[in-house]
Amino acid sequence: MNAIEIRNLTKSFGEKQAVCGLNMTVPMGAIYGFIGENGSGKSTTEKMICGLIHPSSGEIKLYGRDYTDNDVRSRVGVLIEAPGCFPNQSVWNNLILQATNLGIKDAKKEVIKALKMVRMEGAASNKYKNCSLGMKQRIGIAMALLGEPALLILDEPINGLDADGMRIMREVLTDITKNYGCTVVISSHILGELEKIATHYGIIRHGRMIREMSATELENSCPTYVALKARDMSRAKALLNLKYSRVIEADGYLRVYDAGSSEEIVTYLYENNILVSEIMTDKISLEEYYIDLMNEKGGDR
Amino acid sequence: MTNELKFESPSFIKRIKGMLGVDFYRLFHTPMFYIFLAISAIIPAMVLGMTSIENPQGIMEPLYTNTWQIIAADKPLYVVNSIAEYANMNMVFIFGGIMVSIFIGHDYKSGYVKQLFTTHAKKQDYMISKSLVGAFSMACMCITYLLGGTIAGLLVGADMSVSVISLICAVAGKMVMSLGWASLYTFLNIIFRRYFGISIASSFFFGTGILIIGIGAIVGDSASFLLNAFLYGSSVNACLSSNGLSVLLCLMVSVGWALIYNVLGTLILSKCDVY
Repeated sequence: MNAIEIRNLTKSFGEKQAVCGLNMTVPMGAIYGFIGENGSGKSTTEKMICGLIHPSSGEIKLYGRDYTDNDVRSRVGVLIEAPGCFPNQSVWNNLILQATNLGIKDAKKEVIKALKMVRMEGAASNKYKNCSLGMKQRIGIAMALLGEPALLILDEPINGLDADGMRIMREVLTDITKNYGCTVVISSHILGELEKIATHYGIIRHGRMIREMSATELENSCPTYVALKARDMSRAKALLNLKYSRVIEADGYLRVYDAGSSEEIVTYLYENNILVSEIMTDKISLEEYYIDLMNEKGGDR
Repeated sequence: MTNELKFESPSFIKRIKGMLGVDFYRLFHTPMFYIFLAISAIIPAMVLGMTSIENPQGIMEPLYTNTWQIIAADKPLYVVNSIAEYANMNMVFIFGGIMVSIFIGHDYKSGYVKQLFTTHAKKQDYMISKSLVGAFSMACMCITYLLGGTIAGLLVGADMSVSVISLICAVAGKMVMSLGWASLYTFLNIIFRRYFGISIASSFFFGTGILIIGIGAIVGDSASFLLNAFLYGSSVNACLSSNGLSVLLCLMVSVGWALIYNVLGTLILSKCDVY
């Protein structure tokens, strides 16, 4: 059974189609990185999964049940945009109120647990309005964690965070999946961060899912390349082009795809009187893969 | 600490208990609630103690000669001739309307609604909870209004003679009407949820009972049975000559409209996107 199964989901706002026939499958226990440009339909899809907006057509199943079923809704934790907190109330009170809403028996214990999970124990008495952006995002996650959710939907929780905030958020999300064993859907533009935690990816464009894959599949579809710097870059490029099918210049390096090994390239260039000053083997990142896909240079390599 | 995948649908009682718990907590921790309670006490005291009107002989005399006239009119007056006939405990329903608008407006502004409807909370629970909390706050305002008016009456030495039974029936009738009014305001605020200003204006407009006063002017007091079927008509009917039947009528009208507005509000919330 999958945590989320979406078939032919469509949402129109008047003339504008925000989501068009989207299909999505999120396996149980996955950290699903949901990627797309601004306005691609990520937030609209997430809001539909959360029951905040109604689909125009299509089917959403959560753990094999209709997404509107109360029993499954009670096991979904959500952070969409910003947490829905009362600014003049303390962090503690906001969490207690959410726990009360959820009908949690031992609300205090649950709130303490959630605060610990997001490293916010020391800030419980702070007024919500006085918290920093990073703290607010973590409070939102703590709220989403109340009631032991089986599924967490997080809409851009790391946007706007500084490096330390991102690190804490990454640790928090990893802890959550480890300790709570729940499935997480996380949308973000910060692909470098997402790449560190996601086990699955879904790439959406113009309201359609253009690719879904696991992190392993991504790794397999991201080719390795040899990046090098040579004394005479233009001559080196010309020579490499004769031997290898794809040589490009990027970030001041020559990237040689489908190269056997770096030694082979060094030897080849040395034999042609070109000295290599720097050489390394690397893989294309999620960000590069995504940009390639968006530019429709192909992502099936 | 791995979750077992058990899915349980919370009962209506559990859901509503949680939601009411949050709403009442918020109500008691909102300065606005106490401000409105104070306003409800001060307004009748000021009106009773400080207003006077010129009589046909050109002499200024107090607007109210009897303390309890600030609580309710002597008889059901659907068409008012003077401000003295209009200004009574029904004003609480105007204050209450504004309070409910601010309360629900804050739900949307803070994102609380978004947080709420992503959980197991149902739209009907929201309508019921807001209506009950709004009704409670208006009933509290009725009490402070009564206290304010009574204390002011004692201080200015106004006549205190009244049929105690009728006074109790009038106050009880108006307090019972709080449920219907709160449901109306909740419904209006659901319709205009994205337009806070219109929400407040519409609550004020309906709270003044201007529509019923207008209809009353056309059909006359003789059609009181028709006017009593509406919230303002029934609120007016709870006056200083009312009895147990008037309270019963208030109860029926209040509950009837509360049901209608709750069903309509739930339908609107269910059909529309929340956020």
